[in-house]
Amino acid sequence: MDEQQNNSLNFEELCAGFVLNSLSEQEADTFLQLLEGATSQQQELFEDMQAIASEMALLYPELKPTDKIREQLIEMAWASVNSPKGANILYLNRFRYAVAASVVFMLVSLGLLFYTQNITSDLTRQGELLSEQGKFMEQQSKMLEARESTILALRDEVERKEELLTILEARDVDLILMDGLDVNPNGYGKVVWDKDNGKALLQVANLPSVPTDKDYQLWFIIDNQPISAGVFAVEDPRNDNFFRIEEMQRGEATGAFAITLEPKGGVPQPTGDMYLLGSMIN
Amino acid sequence: MLFFFLSAVGRILTQNNTRDRELMRRIASKDPEALGLLYDHYNKLLFGLLRSILKKTEEAEDILQEVFTSIWEKAHQFDTERGTPYTWIVSLTRNKGIDRLRSKVYKEQKKQDAVIDDDEAFFPLFSEENNPLENTILSDRAKRVYEALEKLSEKQRTVIQVAYFDGLSQSEISEEMNIPLGTVKTRMRDGMIKLRELLSQEMA
Repeated sequence: MDEQQNNSLNFEELCAGFVLNSLSEQEADTFLQLLEGATSQQQELFEDMQAIASEMALLYPELKPTDKIREQLIEMAWASVNSPKGANILYLNRFRYAVAASVVFMLVSLGLLFYTQNITSDLTRQGELLSEQGKFMEQQSKMLEARESTILALRDEVERKEELLTILEARDVDLILMDGLDVNPNGYGKVVWDKDNGKALLQVANLPSVPTDKDYQLWFIIDNQPISAGVFAVEDPRNDNFFRIEEMQRGEATGAFAITLEPKGGVPQPTGDMYLLGSMIN
Repeated sequence: MLFFFLSAVGRILTQNNTRDRELMRRIASKDPEALGLLYDHYNKLLFGLLRSILKKTEEAEDILQEVFTSIWEKAHQFDTERGTPYTWIVSLTRNKGIDRLRSKVYKEQKKQDAVIDDDEAFFPLFSEENNPLENTILSDRAKRVYEALEKLSEKQRTVIQVAYFDGLSQSEISEEMNIPLGTVKTRMRDGMIKLRELLSQEMA
């Protein structure tokens, strides 16, 4: 079999497959290239085989499609004619509608996704802002509470100082100085006593802090008889501590003051170590 | 040429060819009425063809719309020297039908469809809506093709029928029928060459 005969058989095979739409895409392309350089006999063969394939369509049963198709086609054709020159009227059949709808759906979905992400992002940002604002408000509230507490403490301090000042302002006061004893030689104490108003001011320094189950107790000693003048605790031993003593309405001109360490709340008679002692000076 | 002999069967066929060429000329000049007339002449034939290939009415209607849209857009490309409008239109229709049949989307849809409304038949057509004389001629044409197919060997006829009526490619036929691809190509070529001879003899 010579080359010419081979080429002819190859053309015939491809031609038969082409008119029956049964070639692969690559083979179909090959055939179309061959057809461009085909001889007149090969051209005639192709036209005949195409005509035969078309005639085979007559073997199918005829069916009537829906009338809507014709209406849409004519509508499309008139729209094309009436549109500006060059305008492309795209006819949307069900398949294209489905594709178009899918594209629209995808775009809408992407838009909604983007919109939702934006909203979520905004909400997150606003939430974070609110959270930060909440923290700020909480800090401000704590600061305010601290300031109120400081103000209250300062007010108490001022009131206390005013009360102490009232005692110091009295024209006739007795001053009793107390010294430290063996248990605490560096201790120091002072009583400013306003006998007219029955009030006294106690100032102590260098007294150690008291344990939680103890108190210092001030005694007024007359004729060797101790009379309790009140209990107090030293919380800040580094500084001088001031205490106001109420109901010191006594008329004795002689006597002494002493401070002992006693059980919490004080006792009727001194039992503990004496820390300070000082006598009234006439 | 054979297409000339085929289209020259009787006076009406000649008239039809002349009519179709005139309609194609008008469609190329963007005449919507001509498109409507061409549609009226061929919609049932082409819809039957597409319905048989695709097995689904809605898909067949979709492709029918595409076919006539293509005719509207490409009528000026029709070469009167290379065949009849009928051959051109049927080839266009089959191409689009087969393309859809082999598309991934269609194959996916087909997998998902449990039931296919398949009432495919293989026999000459008769239409009550056409005029009786035209029906007779169409019937004669169909009968002539049918008888020619019957004269092929069973092996040749089978590959041609499966390719044409089921839309299978040569590779698919080889796989389905478990025969070498080369044998499919040879049987198809021999069968089509023989059909050409048979139909040419009848027309002569």
